[in-house]
Amino acid sequence: MAKQVALEPGYFTVPEDSNELPRLLASYSKSADKYFFPRRPQCPITEEPVEDVQLSPEGILYSWTYVQMPFMGSAQMGDGKAHGVGQIDLPEGVRIQSVIRGKMGDWKIGMPMRLELIPVKKKGETEYVTFSFGPINK
Amino acid sequence: MLEDVYVIGVGMHPFGKHGASNRTMSYTAGKAALQDAGIKFRDVGYLYNGYLGGDPIEGVGYAKDLGLTGVPVVHIENASATGSSAFREACLQVAGGGVEVAMALGYDDIVRMGKRMMQTHMAEGPKVEGMVLPAAFFALWAVRRMHEAGTTIETFAKVAAKNWNHARFNPMAQRQADHEVTVEEVLASSMIAYPHTSMMACATGGGAACAIVANKKWAKKLANGRPLVRVTASQLASEQYVDGHIFMGAVVGPSELTATTTKAAYEQAGVGPKDISFVHVHDAFPIEELMYYESMGFAAPGEGDKLIHDGTTALGGRCPWSPDGGLIARGHPGGPTGLAQVWDSTLQLRGEAGKRQVAGAKNGLVHMMGAGSVCAVHVLSRENA
Repeated sequence: MAKQVALEPGYFTVPEDSNELPRLLASYSKSADKYFFPRRPQCPITEEPVEDVQLSPEGILYSWTYVQMPFMGSAQMGDGKAHGVGQIDLPEGVRIQSVIRGKMGDWKIGMPMRLELIPVKKKGETEYVTFSFGPINK
Repeated sequence: MLEDVYVIGVGMHPFGKHGASNRTMSYTAGKAALQDAGIKFRDVGYLYNGYLGGDPIEGVGYAKDLGLTGVPVVHIENASATGSSAFREACLQVAGGGVEVAMALGYDDIVRMGKRMMQTHMAEGPKVEGMVLPAAFFALWAVRRMHEAGTTIETFAKVAAKNWNHARFNPMAQRQADHEVTVEEVLASSMIAYPHTSMMACATGGGAACAIVANKKWAKKLANGRPLVRVTASQLASEQYVDGHIFMGAVVGPSELTATTTKAAYEQAGVGPKDISFVHVHDAFPIEELMYYESMGFAAPGEGDKLIHDGTTALGGRCPWSPDGGLIARGHPGGPTGLAQVWDSTLQLRGEAGKRQVAGAKNGLVHMMGAGSVCAVHVLSRENA
């Protein structure tokens, strides 16, 4: 089995245990009591320091669309001709914009969504992955 | 503003997929504006060039076609708000008393720019912060509005059809339909990102537009019997944090940005929505125009759809929006779009807009978003010479 590696570091975890869910890497501002994704160098509200945190891997679908183009040019999603994009609200109060798995008709605003990693390119035995969300019941 | 600022000349090169060079388009629009103002390039005290994705030196190079006058030349780049930002800088230069006459000249070709961006994207490979198409981003706004306000796809199509039909009266517009465009046609065009079809998406092509601004002394001297067009507000803002803020993947920031920037422009000009005769907005997709009906104070939250259904925002209505066709039909090359809005607004306020003339136009509200994101809002007002 190919080893999974983050397409770029600093955005999400890639668990070695397949039973463990990946997590988005975020910042928490104690001074503003707010979370931000992706990580910020400082709090964008108070300009005070932030601390590194991991976000919940599940949230609620805020909006969605189905784009009639392949995802990221070369990477294939769904039938290779189109892909979903959604916005997901996480319990920490963070709204994430992300590729969403599925096809037209699979999504409904308010439905629970879960973070999963998807491959975007392969080099030798290494599979480079990025994050996506998909309906929890699928 | 220390000095009152007036638009004394405007000019354009038609928008479209004509493949004209940036050099040809910039010269055409610049020369047309100079002729409209009745001045020579040597009278211009400052030139702000606005273009996206081009060669950093091309703006100052093309200025030589207009004349070697020693004028200071600056390149402005601010995404889709590039032309609006160049216009604002020219206004501020005159308002501050730095010069008496300043020119803002915008041009580029989004098709050429898109090809360069795609080559870079493909060469660098996929990134986590991947390319999110504006069609996808604004479709997310649209689906959410359908959920919250019950807006239908037919309503989006009606906004697009309106703007296509406005462009039929604009010789500079990219989309020149030879017939009255219907809602059915818009709905039948290919789906690009649900619920947006291709006829709802802004036209992509090239073009150029230019506006020359000056202090009152010059404006009065050059009026030649025409009403003066005064810049009564100029505002530019970037994002502030709101709940649900999206840092990654958003083409533009929260819709609140338009509300706060417009409010500041109203306050500066001393006007409100009821005083506005026509509006130009960043209508890359119909959802934007619908949302801006509300965020710019023309309708209560959730009630904006009424304005398209009762004809308020069509030519002949109380306050036409995008009377030149807007981004959807006039077109949207990044550099000149904000200046094309100023071109149409100036003609409207002078009473020179021909078949698309808004009767008795007194105040025009001019809005642009720029990816990243920024929001520019100007108010232009008619004043007797």
